Amino acid sequence: MLIALLIVAVALITIDFRDGGTSGAHSIGGRIFGPVEHVGGDVTGWFRGGGSSSEVSALQQQNTALQLELAQSKVTGQQTAELNSLLKLTGKDRYRVVAASVIAAGGDYSDTVTISVGSADGITANETVLNGEGLVGTVVATSPTTATVQLATDASATVGIRMAGDGQIGALTGTANDFSGTAPLKLTLFSANATLKPGQELVTFGSVGGRPYVPGIPIGRITKVTTTPGSLTPTALVKPFADFTGLGVLGVVVSK
Amino acid sequence: MSRAVILGRPVSGQFASDPSPWRKALVFAALPVALFAAVAVQLTVVNRLPLPGGTGPDLVLLLVTAVAVTTGPMTGLLTGFAGGLALDIAPPATHYAGEYALVFCVAGYLAARAAAASGASTGERNPWVELGVMAAATAAGEAGKAGLGLLLSDPDVTGPAIKHVLPGSILWDLLLTPFAFFLVSWVAGLARPVSERAPRPEFVGAQRLAAVFRAASAGAAPNLKLAGSGAKFTDERQARRVPKLRLADARSKSFARTDAAGSGIARPALSGRKAAKLNFAHSASALRSAGAGVTSLGRTPKLKFSGKSSAITPPRRQKGPGKGWIRAAGGRVPAAGSGTGGRASVPVAGRRKPSAGWLRTDAHRPTTVKRATPGKGWLRTSRRPRANWYSSGPSTRWVRRSRSKDRWRTRRRSLSGAVLSGVRDLLPSGDRR
Repeated sequence: MLIALLIVAVALITIDFRDGGTSGAHSIGGRIFGPVEHVGGDVTGWFRGGGSSSEVSALQQQNTALQLELAQSKVTGQQTAELNSLLKLTGKDRYRVVAASVIAAGGDYSDTVTISVGSADGITANETVLNGEGLVGTVVATSPTTATVQLATDASATVGIRMAGDGQIGALTGTANDFSGTAPLKLTLFSANATLKPGQELVTFGSVGGRPYVPGIPIGRITKVTTTPGSLTPTALVKPFADFTGLGVLGVVVSK
Repeated sequence: MSRAVILGRPVSGQFASDPSPWRKALVFAALPVALFAAVAVQLTVVNRLPLPGGTGPDLVLLLVTAVAVTTGPMTGLLTGFAGGLALDIAPPATHYAGEYALVFCVAGYLAARAAAASGASTGERNPWVELGVMAAATAAGEAGKAGLGLLLSDPDVTGPAIKHVLPGSILWDLLLTPFAFFLVSWVAGLARPVSERAPRPEFVGAQRLAAVFRAASAGAAPNLKLAGSGAKFTDERQARRVPKLRLADARSKSFARTDAAGSGIARPALSGRKAAKLNFAHSASALRSAGAGVTSLGRTPKLKFSGKSSAITPPRRQKGPGKGWIRAAGGRVPAAGSGTGGRASVPVAGRRKPSAGWLRTDAHRPTTVKRATPGKGWLRTSRRPRANWYSSGPSTRWVRRSRSKDRWRTRRRSLSGAVLSGVRDLLPSGDRR
């Protein structure tokens, strides 16, 4: 019996390993546990929201949508033309925001959350998730009623960024710290000549088709420059705008 | 919260002391429900709590190990697999499906086996031992989660992440271990019949353990009394009494040896009400072997030694006990080195008789040293001393015996062949074939 179960477990790991962590087992789990987490999320949301959760969530959704509009409109002038030519970005009204609330969170090692919308609401993988403060993460998996969001603080998350002022580009990775603290993100600029100063702000660089990140979403602010003499690229620690400890209502940017 | 409802259900009824079948069924049905609830609470509440330390406890692991130590290996195995698999495939999980199933089922199985083994060896269910086993299994499960993630090169499970997460999570788990254990063992106790709920000693295991203890201590700890072991170590003070010994060959040497050996080893054998009659034909080492035999048997047999029963350590100098007085020290050197581990009283007994020993001042020294001083050779007996541990090397006969017979034969043959060929060489060449 022990041997049989061990073989089953190893077989599951093997299948999932081959599929890169997106085997059918996860979707089955989403079907089974999605409703349960919905209930649990509602209960905890009731405790967190203090009763008028629907009103709060509606306001937060509006806030999120405005935030996205603002982010899109911030991509101004020459930058817009540049990005349009680069990304074939046609306009800000290409996107819409689907509001969702966090109903569950991942374990000790992964910074992931489950949100209350899924493929039934038009959510697909690799869609940007943000809240009223800034970038939160990206959707990595969906089930009919839930979606799994990989937070920007996850160790395996990498976000392409652009410095708000001088437009330098770089990459931002998570530091594997749990989202229970103000986990700093690690910034690495691609240009060796660029200089970093504490207080500089970062926005997402954007990807083709807005997946996994749409451009112009504010991410955070540099708190500490960690460039070492002799290193090829400037590095810094970034404090995200979004409060990852108290994620409540999120918005998923869905392409129209 | 939903767990509390489940746990409360079995006691709410009007049950008698003996569990009815459907009460048992309720408790067994509570297991998957509790597991499901633990997974849900873990994902929706515990993981979202901003707990100090950056991590939180693993309720599913705690439930698995608690169920394992309170029930049995099969239940622990299945519970671990189910709980781990649920954590693997429930939505926010991004690690590979099957990881936690593997770790949890192994942890549950081993915890249950360890708890069952401790219960079988002592004959009763000790909740503290079970709690300790559960805590160890929980910590091992946390480490196993990290280790397997590292093994599969999960991008989230890195060295710094483990250093950050693992101590905190183990600490949280250990904090919650007692609560989970007593909750689960209370629920499990509801399904157990009353007779089983009371700890009942299993005499078979206890006796086996007592025998192991006795054999291991070899009488070194006669005070050891194991409950229900049926040991004959009844009265320790009786054993302290010097037994009446009638030694057939009552030399001083053998008496001293008897006393020394019997003080430590053979006492349990003499602890009966009657004074045992001991009949030593030759040696004290016979007594030593008898002592070991008696302790392993655990009862008082008749002791009857007629020389040939010295099975364990054959006495080295038993051939000439007549010289015992005079060579009190000299005769003891090989014996003390070979057997009893050099009792302190033995050389003292030799030194007490200088009147006999003044002629042989070198008698206590090893033979090799004696050979180095030939000046006193006239005092020694003409017989060469037998080879012992201290002599320079084994005799040729010993060497010959130690090798294989065939090898010696070939050597002899080659020697004789060499001699023959030498003789042939001496012969005139015309006679050669």
